[in-house]
Amino acid sequence: MHPIEIRLPSEASVLEPLQLMIEALGKSAEVEEDDLSSLSISIIELTKNAMEHGNGFDPEKTVTISISIFPNRIRFLIDDEGTWEPEKALGFNPGEGDELLSTRGRGILIARNLAKWVEFGLTPEGNTRVTLIWPLN
Amino acid sequence: MKIKQHKVDDVLVLSLSGKVIGGPELMDVKEVFQKAVDQDNKRVLLDLGKVSWMDSSGLGVIVSGHTTLSRAGGALKILNATKKIHELFIITKLITIFETYTDEQEALNSFGD
Repeated sequence: MHPIEIRLPSEASVLEPLQLMIEALGKSAEVEEDDLSSLSISIIELTKNAMEHGNGFDPEKTVTISISIFPNRIRFLIDDEGTWEPEKALGFNPGEGDELLSTRGRGILIARNLAKWVEFGLTPEGNTRVTLIWPLN
Repeated sequence: MKIKQHKVDDVLVLSLSGKVIGGPELMDVKEVFQKAVDQDNKRVLLDLGKVSWMDSSGLGVIVSGHTTLSRAGGALKILNATKKIHELFIITKLITIFETYTDEQEALNSFGD
C-alpha cells in the first residue's frame, strides 16, 4: 500500500486542520477514542518542530508527512527541509531546574511520552526526518 | 479558541474554551494576563474545563502567564484541567509549579485573604 502523503507549508494556520485530519485517520484505523488526542498532539508537536527548526517557519518550505497504515501499527514519517538535530536545536531540558519555567521547548518531551515510539533520523536526501509509530490493538 | 472572564471578589476567573493550538491566537491569552496585571488583578484562576485540545504552545502561554503574575506578586492557579491536559502537566513537570483544582470554590478560597 502506498503511503498517504500530506504536504504542508510551514505556517501555524495549517495545524488545526492537520489535527482534525490525524484524529479522523486515527479513528478510521481504530485507534482507541481516548488515545486520539494523544496521537494528534504528538504529531502536531513534531510537525511544529519541523516547521520551526527545519524550515524556520518559512511558508515556502514544506513539511511532508507520510502515513502508512499496517495491520498492527500506523507509521508517520515527518520530513522537513532542514538538517537540525533535536538536542542541539533545543539546547536545554525543559523539564529540569530553571528551564521548567521556559515558555517553550516541551514538544519533543510531550511527543515521546504520549507516543509509543519516536525516533529522529535523516531522509535519503539528508534532511531531518522524525518517525513516529503508533501501535494498533 | 474563546476567552471569557469574570471576577469573583478579588480573583479574576479566565475561562478558555475550544482548542488551544499553536498560532497567533495565543497572543490574545498572553495579553489578557498582562492586562490583568496592569489592572491590578493579580489573582487569576484559569478555568480549562472547556478546552477540548491543548499542546505545548498552550502550556507555554500558561507558563508565561504564571511568570507575569508572579513577578507582580500575584498567582495563577488552574481549574478543571481535563484528563489529557492534566497528563501534559505531569509529563512536563509543570504539575510541580501549578496548583490545580476541580472545585471552583475550593480554588477561589485557596487564594486566601
